[in-house]
Amino acid sequence: MTLVAAASRRWAWRHPGQVALTVLGVALGVAVVVAIDLAIQSSRAAFQLSTEAVAGRATHRIDGGPSGLPESLFTRIRTDVGLRASAPVVEGWGSSEALEGTALRILGVDPFSERPFRPWLAGGGPELDVAVLLTTPDGVVLPGPLAERAGVQVGDTLVLVVEGRTRPAVVVGTVEPDDELARRGLADVVVADVGTVQGFLDRPGRLSRIELVVPDGPRGAAALAAVSAVLPPGATLSPVGTRAETLSGMLRAFDLNLTALSLLALVFGMFLIYNAMTFSVVQRRELLGSLRALGVTRGEVIRTVGGEALWTALAGTALGLGAGVVLGRGLVHLVTRTINDLYFVLTVQGLTVPASVLVKGGLLGVGATLLAAWPAVREAVQAPPRAAATRSLVEDRVRRLVPRAAGAGVALGAGGAGLLAVPSRSVLLSFVGLFGVLLGAALVTPLATVAFVRAVTPVLGRTVGILGTLAARGVSAALSRTAPAVAALVVAVSVTVGLGVMIQSFRSTVVEWLDHTLQADIYVSPPSPVSSRAEGALDPGAVERMAAVGGVAGLSTYRGTELLTDQGLLRVVALDLDPRGERAFRFLDGRAETAFARFRGDGAVLVSEPYAYRNRVGVGDTIRLSTDRGPTAFGVAGVFRDYGSERGVVMMARSTWLQVYDDDRVTSLGFFLQDDADVDSVMAELRSAAGPNQALVVRSNRALRDASLEVFDRTFAITAVLRALAFVVAFIGVLSALMALQLERGRELGVLRANGLTPGQVWGLVTTQTGVLGLVAGLLAVPTGLLLAVVMIEVVNRRSFGWTLEMEVGGGLLLQAVGLALAGALLAGLYPAWRMARTSPSLALREE
Amino acid sequence: MGSRACAPVAVLAGLLGGLAGCGGDEPTEARATLSLVETLGGADTVGYARAVEPRPFVFPADHGPHPGFRSEWWYYTGNLDGPDGERFGFQFTLFRGALAPPLPDGTEADSADGWATRQVYLGHFTVTDARRGTFREAERYTRASAGLAGARADPFRVWLDDWEVRGPDTGGTPWPTTLRARDSTAAVTLRLEPVKPLVLQGDRGLSRKGPEEGNASYYYSYTRLSAAGTVEVDGEPVSVTGSAWLDREWSTSALSDGQVGWDWFALQLSDGSELMVYQLRRADGTPDPFSAGVVVGPAGEAVSLASGDVLLESTGEWASPLDGAVYPSGWRVRVPSAALDLRVTPVLADQELDVSFRYWEGAVDVEGTADGRPVSGRGYVELTGYAGAAAGRSGG
Repeated sequence: MTLVAAASRRWAWRHPGQVALTVLGVALGVAVVVAIDLAIQSSRAAFQLSTEAVAGRATHRIDGGPSGLPESLFTRIRTDVGLRASAPVVEGWGSSEALEGTALRILGVDPFSERPFRPWLAGGGPELDVAVLLTTPDGVVLPGPLAERAGVQVGDTLVLVVEGRTRPAVVVGTVEPDDELARRGLADVVVADVGTVQGFLDRPGRLSRIELVVPDGPRGAAALAAVSAVLPPGATLSPVGTRAETLSGMLRAFDLNLTALSLLALVFGMFLIYNAMTFSVVQRRELLGSLRALGVTRGEVIRTVGGEALWTALAGTALGLGAGVVLGRGLVHLVTRTINDLYFVLTVQGLTVPASVLVKGGLLGVGATLLAAWPAVREAVQAPPRAAATRSLVEDRVRRLVPRAAGAGVALGAGGAGLLAVPSRSVLLSFVGLFGVLLGAALVTPLATVAFVRAVTPVLGRTVGILGTLAARGVSAALSRTAPAVAALVVAVSVTVGLGVMIQSFRSTVVEWLDHTLQADIYVSPPSPVSSRAEGALDPGAVERMAAVGGVAGLSTYRGTELLTDQGLLRVVALDLDPRGERAFRFLDGRAETAFARFRGDGAVLVSEPYAYRNRVGVGDTIRLSTDRGPTAFGVAGVFRDYGSERGVVMMARSTWLQVYDDDRVTSLGFFLQDDADVDSVMAELRSAAGPNQALVVRSNRALRDASLEVFDRTFAITAVLRALAFVVAFIGVLSALMALQLERGRELGVLRANGLTPGQVWGLVTTQTGVLGLVAGLLAVPTGLLLAVVMIEVVNRRSFGWTLEMEVGGGLLLQAVGLALAGALLAGLYPAWRMARTSPSLALREE
Repeated sequence: MGSRACAPVAVLAGLLGGLAGCGGDEPTEARATLSLVETLGGADTVGYARAVEPRPFVFPADHGPHPGFRSEWWYYTGNLDGPDGERFGFQFTLFRGALAPPLPDGTEADSADGWATRQVYLGHFTVTDARRGTFREAERYTRASAGLAGARADPFRVWLDDWEVRGPDTGGTPWPTTLRARDSTAAVTLRLEPVKPLVLQGDRGLSRKGPEEGNASYYYSYTRLSAAGTVEVDGEPVSVTGSAWLDREWSTSALSDGQVGWDWFALQLSDGSELMVYQLRRADGTPDPFSAGVVVGPAGEAVSLASGDVLLESTGEWASPLDGAVYPSGWRVRVPSAALDLRVTPVLADQELDVSFRYWEGAVDVEGTADGRPVSGRGYVELTGYAGAAAGRSGG
């Protein structure tokens, strides 16, 4: 072992806390990035898995409108077109108490058609008897593990709830898909015959889709042409891959938002590394100088200090990868829930840990560490080969850098702002701009700190005395240490301020919107196990009986469907609007009276703001939708505010809907009550009018509002978690930086102590100094955070989701931010102050 | 000849146990065999109609399905010639099999939706191309609901996907019948019309297969149909004319213990007569006494043949490349009572159907003498119980 390496090891041994903090910083940064990446990848993998496993080996599929396809189309494809590799599918969602309400995909297939698609459903397995499946009314087949979870065996009854209606099913067999993909993708699938599922869903004669296996080449093209020729209007034939891509493409903005947040954590981690590495070198400047004087070469120093960085990187990264997997397990559920709330049904079986994510996280961790350690390595090499304390030289250099950094910061911030001002719709670009602004702010921080300290020094001198002046001067004297600490704290706090203001604004906007939108007194929908959005349909008889309940003055009916467009799923809604409900709409474009007149009379549609934004349409434009009559044009009568779907909503009058879609079902109802009616008693009557077979979610205005806000809060749970994580990483960084700063000043404090400073005064000095740092950071973080909030609200959110939020800044949040920074800084001063106060002056004066 | 359909019965039994092994890329599983044994056990006949005694045949109703019986088929075979000496054989069979007996009220649907059914249809389609030396086979099955497959008497139509035999829309007769079948490499479109009247097989249409009460079928044949249309092999259509044969049979239980397979012959002779012979084989290799046949004269007069009336000896062998099963290939068929002495030669050695239940069914040429005068002819031969010995033995 070389001398320098031995010294390095000895140093690490004597400063375990410092080493641990550095490793922890790397680990946390890596962990957050890996966890988010894993959560995203797992939800993507789950999406892929469920689409692939359920799609089987289909190459193409035929989809219809809201009511699906007539089953006679399938018969035609078989008997007229003669395309044998075709399979009918009816699909819905249900749940079962035996499975604790897990969302179950109810898949109706024709076993005789399944061999080219899902061979495991074509029979032949030991437990699946197709004859029994076909001849047992309400017979279902479960994957083996699902049957086990439900505690049912062949011959048992499994009570399913489908669209609110209780459907006792008879388990006639189990299937064990022979490949892993299918097994995992089908874990929550209940399979039954086509006709059985049609019965469960109350959709006689209708199919959800028809799947095809068509070979490449001219024969396949001919088959597709022949199929196209018999398609009814409104039915679309598309390759399976395209569809899945469109769906997963919907998640791009969502994923990008999460990734950007996770990268922030890594940036904080990098700061931490930079700080810790630099500090460890600075502390050893004299040692390194002595070693160089003894003949240790620059190369040896580079190797040793670089090696330290590498070991830190490896240890921190390894730890971070492990922690990331653990953290990812928690995050994946948050991500999945949000996808379910906002996009489409997705069940994730567990965390997928692709090697690529770990490799990426590993490279990022090691790379970022080495990058952050580079200045420290340079500094170590530059230690002149003599034992001279040149700390002041470093500080001089840093002080000269301060204005230049500020200049660069201003330039960077301006560049970022410029990018944000580019009239593009790119979400990625908006994040690049956002990072530019943030880093710019960080670079301006040192100058601001110096200015602030200069301003407060007299104040401190007057109020606290000489110690106050000492504390303030200490900040600018050790700028190489204090500036990064303050910058990191500014970034961390401003991010929490920015995210906090954004969420607060979003929430208050949604609250206000809900108060406005929820006009009816009582809302009724079938329970849906998979989404907060009402899916499925109510029993028509039950609707009729409920409408006749006493105390009801009016009724709005609602029927929603998801249409697959080039840009993903689009929500199309048929609305039979009670005039009392008109106030629910707030138009951004178009006047209410004319909009409703055209909506009711001319077959025009109302579109939500995100839809208008994405499709660049406004009042007077015409949009085209795929309907059961083929592509149909609709005039846009109004653009209304909506925060229910980021993909956008198109609303049409029910009479318009009935003309273009062969679907007269109703998904949910809004009841307006007579003035003297009692909400609770009408709710009870509605329940009993619906009858025992139609399970209902009957909610008062208030309850629906609360439930909607609950979904909103759920949606932002992951953002809140990331916000907290980013802050923890930054906090540890600040803690270690300030602690290092104070520990480094051990000798200086020792001198002060020897000159008669009491332990209490040392305490006061240290805490005043860190307090000043915290206050600077907190005060700088407020404008930066507000700037970030503006960017996130006006640019990122609009580009990602297409909606406008009313910015709302609560004073509490800002005070909280300053308090947070101050508290963090004071906390960071505790240990050094305690140590300094305890150490005897003579000991402190002795050099290492 | 009722036995000729036992192979498809086995296939349908295979369906009951699961639809394994279809498409020919997987071997028929032992499970199918087990199901076959179960299916053919006595208990399984409960709830089905049985062929116990002769019944009056009523047409066109009897051209249609008899869902009270467990199985039924429309079995078309024929030999066809093209304008340039092309020589084809074809087999087109649609089998109906019940998954369960009809419900007590006589209906077939377990629920109200359009998919419910207790009936399954299975189709086999083969084309033998003598000039190319190729044999093409295809198998399909599907449920008899949602319009995917089914049968009806008037207007006559039996279909499975786009495979079908169909009569005119009016007139209450299946004739002329249009036959359409198409697979990836072969297709046949034919117009079929009887040249001779139908023949009731066995005792006035009741064909007994074993000593047990009810082990019998209802069975009639059209032994000579004129055929004209198109045969397409590998995308190359050829206009054809020729002669075809239709067997119609339905039953619930036909087989007895110890019957392992059968050799079946349907031969059309140049003197205007036809000979149908089936010989059931027992496990010990001897012919079963319930073997039988019929000779149909040029004017349509039918003379039933009993087991002892026919002398059948094989004159060659062919080993299946699929599993090495050895089939007889070439026969001498003598019917002393009708003064027939015929040599029967396969048009191609390999006309084995590699489908759910393997069997050999192919076009044959006939040379020999009738009443001492030379005759020639063509026909179809079916051989079962040679491949998949275990399945054959238990299936019988």
